[in-house]
Amino acid sequence: MSLSVVTGAAGGIGRSICARLCDRGDEVIAVDLSDRLADLEGVTPVQVDLNTDAGIEQVAAAVGSSTIRLLVNNAGITRDARLVNLNDEDFASVIEINLGAAYRLSRRLIPSMRAGSSIVSLASRAYLGNFGQFNYSMSKGGIVGMTRAFAIELAPGIRANAIAPGLIETEMALGIPDEVREKMISAIPLDRMGRPDEVADLVAFLSESSYITGEVVVIGGGRSLT
Amino acid sequence: MTIRAPQDVIEDMAGIHGSVFWAADVSDGWDDVRTELVAAFEFSRAAAKAGEPLVFVVRTDDLLGRRGAGRAMVATGLLSAARSLALETTKANVPINVLAVEEGTASSSVALWVNQLLIQGGPTGELVRMGASHIGKALP
Repeated sequence: MSLSVVTGAAGGIGRSICARLCDRGDEVIAVDLSDRLADLEGVTPVQVDLNTDAGIEQVAAAVGSSTIRLLVNNAGITRDARLVNLNDEDFASVIEINLGAAYRLSRRLIPSMRAGSSIVSLASRAYLGNFGQFNYSMSKGGIVGMTRAFAIELAPGIRANAIAPGLIETEMALGIPDEVREKMISAIPLDRMGRPDEVADLVAFLSESSYITGEVVVIGGGRSLT
Repeated sequence: MTIRAPQDVIEDMAGIHGSVFWAADVSDGWDDVRTELVAAFEFSRAAAKAGEPLVFVVRTDDLLGRRGAGRAMVATGLLSAARSLALETTKANVPINVLAVEEGTASSSVALWVNQLLIQGGPTGELVRMGASHIGKALP
């Protein structure tokens, strides 16, 4: 059985990724800070804070001597503000969790990967720029750089790719005021939000594609064009 | 004028009107990367509060991940942050841009292009890559 590790597993996209990987027969280690991990079926839950060394070591311990086929770096937060109003704490927390934890966990788990393994990291369409998200954009842009560097460093055995989702139907998106969300959707050529299962399908596709590495795939309904 | 750049480059940038943040060569250690990103944040916030145009200078190789993950995360992180900040400063007509240079690019040429990218009414949120090593490669 193939082993996959998914971070941010308790959120909307993370849940769909776990379900998709379970459906294809993977053994899934689901990592999150939230106790909502308990709702997930068919996974090995690991409730930890990836912002700590102890948390990362707990994930490594759960992997043990197994070979990881797929690592999905999906954990992330937002703390939006215009840069002039962005405080030190909100900058640091976003950078640490979105980028630092992904990078440090990847470094820790790469020795458990073999030829044919891959890393898929969730960036965001915000890596192309988004108002009020200096910190978030920086973190997701950093994910893009990390992915490219890993693609070179870990080739030819291990591949690394990134996904940049746009507006996806998650609790976070559904929490946006209706009128604001409708305005955002009106700027999407495909005229709707993306679904978490569509992102999960892309994760599965990239993990199975043997000749794609170092790429960033935007899944945003065409929003990058309008 | 606020410049954070290698000492030999600063001399060529005398007279520039705006802020310049030149990404340092960091290691692949996360502590080094975080320190550099925090420095960029603090520098950028000060420039934004002062209403100053800003140019980040990075290496083309780093945008493509050719010199290690640490430098790549800094370079691409700065590029994305610059794009977001450019959206915030557009109404005030304050340009925010990124200049990517190659190994051996003359500092006088860098200074010339930095100056161009600081001009109000010119490009903003833009990446300009000097040299030709980026041609045919991935778009950052």
